[in-house]
Amino acid sequence: MSASVPTATLHPPKRGAISIRGITRIFTGSTPAVDHVDLEIHAGEFFTLLGPSGCGKTTLLRMLAGFETPDEGKILISGKDMEDVPAHKRAVNTVFQSYALFPHLNVEQNIGFGLRMKGVKTPERKKRVNAVMEMMQIGQFATRSAAQLSGGQRQRVALARALVNEPDVVLLDEPLSALDAKLRSELQIELLRMQKRLGMTFIFVTHDQHEALVMSDRIGVMSQGRLEQVGPVLDVYEKPRNVFVAEFLGLSNIWPITPTGPHSAASPIGELGIAAPLNGASMAMIRPEKIWIYNDTAVPKDRANLFLGTVREAIYMGASTQYRIELAGGQSVLAFDTNNQAAERSWRPGEPVAVELKPDNIMLISP
Amino acid sequence: MIPRGVRYALSGISWPLYALLYTPLALVAYYSFAPAPNEAGHSLHAYNLLLHDGDVFSALRRSLILAIGSAITSTALGTLLGYGLCRFRTPNAKGVLAHIPSLIIYTPIIMPSLVFGISELIFFNLVHNATGMLGAGLETMIIAHITFQVPYVALTVYARLAGLDRYLFDAANDLYANGLKSFLYLIIPLVQPAIIGGFMLGITLSIDDFTISFFTSGPGSVTLPIYIYGAIARKGISPEINAIGTLMIGTIILLALIHFFITRHRDRAGQFAARGSIS
Repeated sequence: MSASVPTATLHPPKRGAISIRGITRIFTGSTPAVDHVDLEIHAGEFFTLLGPSGCGKTTLLRMLAGFETPDEGKILISGKDMEDVPAHKRAVNTVFQSYALFPHLNVEQNIGFGLRMKGVKTPERKKRVNAVMEMMQIGQFATRSAAQLSGGQRQRVALARALVNEPDVVLLDEPLSALDAKLRSELQIELLRMQKRLGMTFIFVTHDQHEALVMSDRIGVMSQGRLEQVGPVLDVYEKPRNVFVAEFLGLSNIWPITPTGPHSAASPIGELGIAAPLNGASMAMIRPEKIWIYNDTAVPKDRANLFLGTVREAIYMGASTQYRIELAGGQSVLAFDTNNQAAERSWRPGEPVAVELKPDNIMLISP
Repeated sequence: MIPRGVRYALSGISWPLYALLYTPLALVAYYSFAPAPNEAGHSLHAYNLLLHDGDVFSALRRSLILAIGSAITSTALGTLLGYGLCRFRTPNAKGVLAHIPSLIIYTPIIMPSLVFGISELIFFNLVHNATGMLGAGLETMIIAHITFQVPYVALTVYARLAGLDRYLFDAANDLYANGLKSFLYLIIPLVQPAIIGGFMLGITLSIDDFTISFFTSGPGSVTLPIYIYGAIARKGISPEINAIGTLMIGTIILLALIHFFITRHRDRAGQFAARGSIS
């Protein structure tokens, strides 16, 4: 342990870094809501906790804020142990799903509440509240009550109320879920820009995989209180570790496999050539957009993993079309094709086609 | 849609009911203007008598001390109780446990005041015999009145708090307010209309109460309702009693109007609050 002391002094934990070590939270009479979670979140990172409802992501967030006390484990924020630090003393601010704007205060007073509680004097407080209102473009609503605002405006006020305190970490609990699709995607981009500009650590909780992909630097996928996979967006999407992560983030084709050689395996659709070393893997996955579709008359020669089949379903989705193709053996594969021609080029149900599963597009996952 | 026939029948019932409710009140007012002895026509004689009746005024003074004193105390205690029941309810409680807050609040309200009064009497007697303190008088009455008003205040405060977005408390906590600051800067402003309403209700209940007062009063603590009861028992219903009744009706109507305007204001604010939260 003596070696770790100089290391720690050379690299003091940065403001906004979070270290979660073996955190467990069990509500009486049920399975653990959060089950031995270890997680390092870097300073200035946009980190997303992604998972279905009830997976424990909100409980984990509430433990970071201090609203819930972990039954086991440690949380360090900016290097400080949070064990005996109550919520009102943590340099962390939350944006709630319901926004939780104070109904008895106007916009300006809502935003200034934290500073007022901290004892920041009026002139200074006014200056900071005005600055953040200008940044969020909500200055014209300063004297309105929360009830007189639209959903998007409330969301901005809730964010402003957190940001004005210049916390180490901003926690966001599904803050966009109550908004309509268009406003939502606008605010996603705005939130992201804001975070990059301020350089604060943002921890974002959502069940929307698309939102997670768009916004995050890194994603932690949660299921039943456990972290299934943590990593950069690209890694988690392209190289999911297991079936849950593969299926939760987007569509996928998943088959059980039995290795037959160093780079080949038997699968329900036939013998597959796989670029990655098999190492006794038992499942293979390929994303639909990574499958190539050919007319049965124009099938390339001498390629690995070519399968003949028939289109059973074609769903036009604007930018692309989603096909379900039944292979000769009766198995189906899901494939996307980009609609990159002005003239229609899509296949219709019943048409014979061939699909190519390139060996390096096939990923190995665990069950 | 209510069928037309039913609607007519209902209004046919409602008017006699209103008459039944308000005719006696009107009669009290009418008889209070009875002529003075050996004179004819209406007069303010009864009111004149009342004005010079020292006993009535000391009874009224005691009633007001009792009402205001008990209402202030019970408002403070009831607010804390309502807040505590709401804030510290167990979110995962099932069955009977989940209803404990409402059981605690409702049981004293549905308890017949006769039972309440007698039990208070027994309790005060016991304490008095054992310690020499709490002899029947204004003190015991104030304690008894506080006891029966607290649930009403707690109920109004609890109802207001339970209707709010529960994340508001977390939000205050998150924004550096400790328990005390949350209470002062969030809870009190939010429940203020309920506190005022509870206080008004407490005063009304206290002035109105006879049963509990009767069992807990002593010889030197005659309040207005007890005085009226005594006066009627001795010499029947005099114009003076009617005059007291009329004045009380007037006061209560006034208080009810004030309460109405306060709660109307609160409901408007409440609508905003309701729209402000998404559940």
